[in-house]
Amino acid sequence: MNEKAVPEPRQEASGYILRAAGITKIYSDGTVALKKATLEIRAHEIIGLLGENGAGKTTLTKILSGLLPPTHGRVVSPRGAVRFTSPREALDFGIGMVHQHFALVGTFTATENVALSHEKPFSFIRLAKTRERLEALMEESGLRVPLDVPVEKLAVGEQQRVEILKVLSRDVKLLILDEPTSVLTPLEVDELFLLLRRLRDKGTSIILITHKLKEVQSVTDRIVVLRRGEMVGDLRTIDATTERLAQLMVGKALAGEPTAVELSAEQLPKAQRALKRNEFSSEGVLHVTDLVARGNTAEIAVDGVSFDVHGGEIFGIAGVEGNGQSELVECLTGLRVPVSGEATIRGTNILGKDPRQIYRLGVAHVPEDRWRLGLVLPFTLAENAILGVHQWEEFRGPLGFLRRGKVNQHVRQLMDRFDIQATGPSAPAKSLSGGNQQKLIVGRELAKDPAIVVASQPTRGLDIGAAKYIRDLLVEMRGKGRAILLVSADLDEVLALADRLAIMYEGRFMGESCPGELSREQIGMLMGGVSCKEVA
Amino acid sequence: MSANPSRDSRLLRGARRTLTGLHPALESLLAAVIGLLIGALLMYIWGFNPWKAYWALLQGAYGGSYEWASSLSRATPLILTALTFSVCVRAGMFNIGAEGQMLMGAMAAICVTYFRMPVGLHLLVGLVFALTAGAVWSIVPALLKITRGVSEVISTIMFNWIGRWLALYLAIYVIVDPMRAEKTLTVPVTARFPILVRGTDFSYSFFLSLFVALVLYFILWHTTMGYEVRAAGLNPTAARYGGIRNKRTMLWSFLLGGAAAGLAGAAIVMGMPPSYAAFGGGAFPNLTNIGFDGMAVAMVGRNHPIGIVAASVLFGGLNAGGRVMQFYGSNPVPLEMVRIVMGAIVLAMSVPELIRLFPAIRRQGESLVRLLRRKGESSEEGSS
Amino acid sequence: MSWSDLLSLLRIALHAMVPITLTAVGEIVGETAGLFNIGLEGILLISAFAGALGARIGGPWMGFLIGAGVGAAIGFLFAVINTYWKGTQMVTGIGINLFAMGFVAFGLIQLGAPGFFAVPRTVQLIKWRTAMGAMSPMIVVALVLPFLIHWFMRRTRAGLILKAAGEMPEAADVAGINVNRTRLFAATFGGMLAGVAGAYMSIAWIGSVTKDLSAGRGFIALATVVFSGLNPLLALLGGFIFGFFQGLAEWVKTLPSKPIPFQFVSMLPYIVTLLVVSGAIGRVRFPKALGESYKRE
Repeated sequence: MNEKAVPEPRQEASGYILRAAGITKIYSDGTVALKKATLEIRAHEIIGLLGENGAGKTTLTKILSGLLPPTHGRVVSPRGAVRFTSPREALDFGIGMVHQHFALVGTFTATENVALSHEKPFSFIRLAKTRERLEALMEESGLRVPLDVPVEKLAVGEQQRVEILKVLSRDVKLLILDEPTSVLTPLEVDELFLLLRRLRDKGTSIILITHKLKEVQSVTDRIVVLRRGEMVGDLRTIDATTERLAQLMVGKALAGEPTAVELSAEQLPKAQRALKRNEFSSEGVLHVTDLVARGNTAEIAVDGVSFDVHGGEIFGIAGVEGNGQSELVECLTGLRVPVSGEATIRGTNILGKDPRQIYRLGVAHVPEDRWRLGLVLPFTLAENAILGVHQWEEFRGPLGFLRRGKVNQHVRQLMDRFDIQATGPSAPAKSLSGGNQQKLIVGRELAKDPAIVVASQPTRGLDIGAAKYIRDLLVEMRGKGRAILLVSADLDEVLALADRLAIMYEGRFMGESCPGELSREQIGMLMGGVSCKEVA
Repeated sequence: MSANPSRDSRLLRGARRTLTGLHPALESLLAAVIGLLIGALLMYIWGFNPWKAYWALLQGAYGGSYEWASSLSRATPLILTALTFSVCVRAGMFNIGAEGQMLMGAMAAICVTYFRMPVGLHLLVGLVFALTAGAVWSIVPALLKITRGVSEVISTIMFNWIGRWLALYLAIYVIVDPMRAEKTLTVPVTARFPILVRGTDFSYSFFLSLFVALVLYFILWHTTMGYEVRAAGLNPTAARYGGIRNKRTMLWSFLLGGAAAGLAGAAIVMGMPPSYAAFGGGAFPNLTNIGFDGMAVAMVGRNHPIGIVAASVLFGGLNAGGRVMQFYGSNPVPLEMVRIVMGAIVLAMSVPELIRLFPAIRRQGESLVRLLRRKGESSEEGSS
Repeated sequence: MSWSDLLSLLRIALHAMVPITLTAVGEIVGETAGLFNIGLEGILLISAFAGALGARIGGPWMGFLIGAGVGAAIGFLFAVINTYWKGTQMVTGIGINLFAMGFVAFGLIQLGAPGFFAVPRTVQLIKWRTAMGAMSPMIVVALVLPFLIHWFMRRTRAGLILKAAGEMPEAADVAGINVNRTRLFAATFGGMLAGVAGAYMSIAWIGSVTKDLSAGRGFIALATVVFSGLNPLLALLGGFIFGFFQGLAEWVKTLPSKPIPFQFVSMLPYIVTLLVVSGAIGRVRFPKALGESYKRE
């Protein structure tokens, strides 16, 4: 995996099979996901699509595979413009996508799952015939999977192979894989790459979405880098050095790009972006030692992390989403039970406890998925503002009555303090903008007077003004002596706010043994999985 | 809603904003109107005069104080069984077991005949028996759901049947009237709800229903327990994260719901002249369908106590008015039409956002036109 | 219990099994695809009525045709409301029940036969003379159909599509399957079978239409579906068990000295179903997406 891709003697890439021309995608809430992206895909080619979270990789491939319509631009084939209105149409055309979350029916066997996507929609094909075809396909491609076991019982790597078989059984010309290696063991990754190369040699084009620098260099022919919706690089893999890639992915602000995070001089963190352990006047609030946890699919998501967070500091965990950050936060906030390790708040263990107990110990949590975890959308502002603290004395009257008056007072205070724009405490939460919703959550959590604030992707999906507000808040909290754990896939944010930071990759902290200050590009490389030694 | 909101006229935007505010009540109203229209259509097809029939219905339901009394008397048990369904829906569960819970409550209330007590107390004791029986009958499905994840829809339906047979057994063998085998013991005078309007069957049981509705309203919206129930019903994940124990909320909602259904049974056997008993012989004619009708009321009332009271007045009125309608005019409409209208109303209710449906149909038409136009365009385009 | 008593019991059980099994098998198809129709009771009632009318016009076969048609139409309506229009399945089902109750009662009055309408012998479905007495040929249909459906679900791609739509509609969508259309077919088919069952009751078995003819059989069918764990063969067994206990209860009623009140006998099938569902006896597993409308994200 350490060697760079060497072009093997193979058929030269012929004319293009598909071209995305000027694709722009603007979501209904105004977010610009893609800006005039243009990509030409040729046969016999493995293209690596590289970028951070929110760069637009998944959006682009969803447009290519028919799951989303573009706002502007079109997809063109040598035969003319193509328009897909459903995944099926894309499949019929020859484009198949293997998603991060498999679209498999758990109770079905592999054979049954593949039979599901056969060409003829409504037929009485017997399963035996499908099985024969599958066996032949397995021979051809070298993929081996038990065919008669319900897929939910298979290992994740095997499940992925079923997904790939499913797509291959439709004779696709373009195969798109979205972060396929995040759930695989190293051995399985090697097998996958072997398969991809074999397919490429047979003529299939492959797009591999990834954020892992080493991988993208080892298996692709060409690398395309997306950043904030724009195509910033399209180069042959042999020309792509790790530094160049990191620079393209996260490097200095490009001309014309507004800097996302602005802090005034007083707000800048005392310690700069060093990984050194500094002396702090306040003691550690959160101590985590060797935490190991499994993800939802039973693979190890958190692979032994240790860190401390002190009062008066922001400890940032950077990294592309999906490398264990969510699971880590869930362990610390009572939503997941880890396999092993320790985590204490001022000496008291918090692992395995339920959320209410962890609250009482002083942990406040700004969740990454505010609609699912943070708010009850149909509830009013007031009702959401007391979620988690509704049992408090001041809100509770005799016989368990809610002191509406007190609640409203509390909410109005929050609204003032945090500048929450809404028609009033009885406005339904879903009528608030994303920014105001997030302010509500942050305000609610801070009102608990917590010892530590765990903020997970706190500015995701917010407009610039709201994001700035939240960041200012975090900085203010730090000034008041609170401990803050900031988990964010927005590198700019982490770099600007954190006193100390760690980079999470595949469940572990990277670069802890790296000396001295790290440049942005170096951090980018660490985020992409490059180890300390190779970060020059 | 068109894709480009700024193109809509200001009038349209204003109208839409008002509509969204009144939204739920408006939908129920629309559903009621559609139900009545469907009824009218059927009446017309069958050769009846719908307007005369509806006029009679209206008169019979709300024409005078006797009529109002009749409607409200029919509304009484419906309020309670509707509350059963709604409280559980608020907790995120479907409690279909009101039929069984109500029967158990009725049987328990009849047992009060075995004691001799002073006037007010006797009634109260009967109510306590009834609500306990109802709550007990709904606890097992709740526990099954909590401990073993058994669908409460299925278990409550099963308990409806088990309850029905159990009640029949009790009515025929245990609490049977020694003189007349087809009915149970009669609830003694000291344990009855006093009649409110002489000559009707409207009793103080109506106030019981209102009281229970009020109590449940307060519990759900003004106590911490009710808050937890509602939060868990709307977003169990966020609720759990907010420290709410979802199992507890489920249990509470079923207990409260079962109690309400039990009280419905009591309201009938202790409040409905002339029999003040249950009839095992005919499989409880005065007690059947109260549970299911209550569910219909709950849905039309949008699962809110205030809406439920309003909807039950509607349904009670339909029932009472029907009895007048069936004798009115030269070609009277049989009262079974009322059931048809009720069914049509509920069917209309089951389509969400009826108001939005019309623009949706218009949008489908628009997109179809656009599709056809585009097909014409693309055939002119070559490869780019 | 004498031999002839047992035969008589068997005969009753087999006849009673037919509507339950047919309805249950139809609902199995619907639930496999993700639609939970609590309105089966209403479908049974209305199609019994419609079937009787149809028989009066054109003989028993016309009656079955009309009954099946009406059932299919209601199933279709149920499906449209709850797939394309994103309705609430529970509410629609209850609406169907209410509507049907009123409609049949009303219709009976219109026919001039309030409360009771006897289907003339001449237009009833023939019964075969057997050693056990008069038996309806529909019993054969009820015995064979579950096997056919079972084969269909297990061994054809269409069966797979149904299961996928109910278990994980997202996967089905990605595979290019129109989830809503699948559910539409499934519920219409289920309604059709319930319609046949209803027509059977009025034309081929009980021979009359009353306003509570269905007597809860729709709900019994739901219980059977649960008992069967969506396996049509077990639905056959379940239907027989329910029919058997109905017959048994009737028989107990006729005994001069009553060892057990017949009500407890009638309770048994429901208790057994509860035990099955709670996992006390066997484990049943329902499609994950049952009861939820599907919307492509």
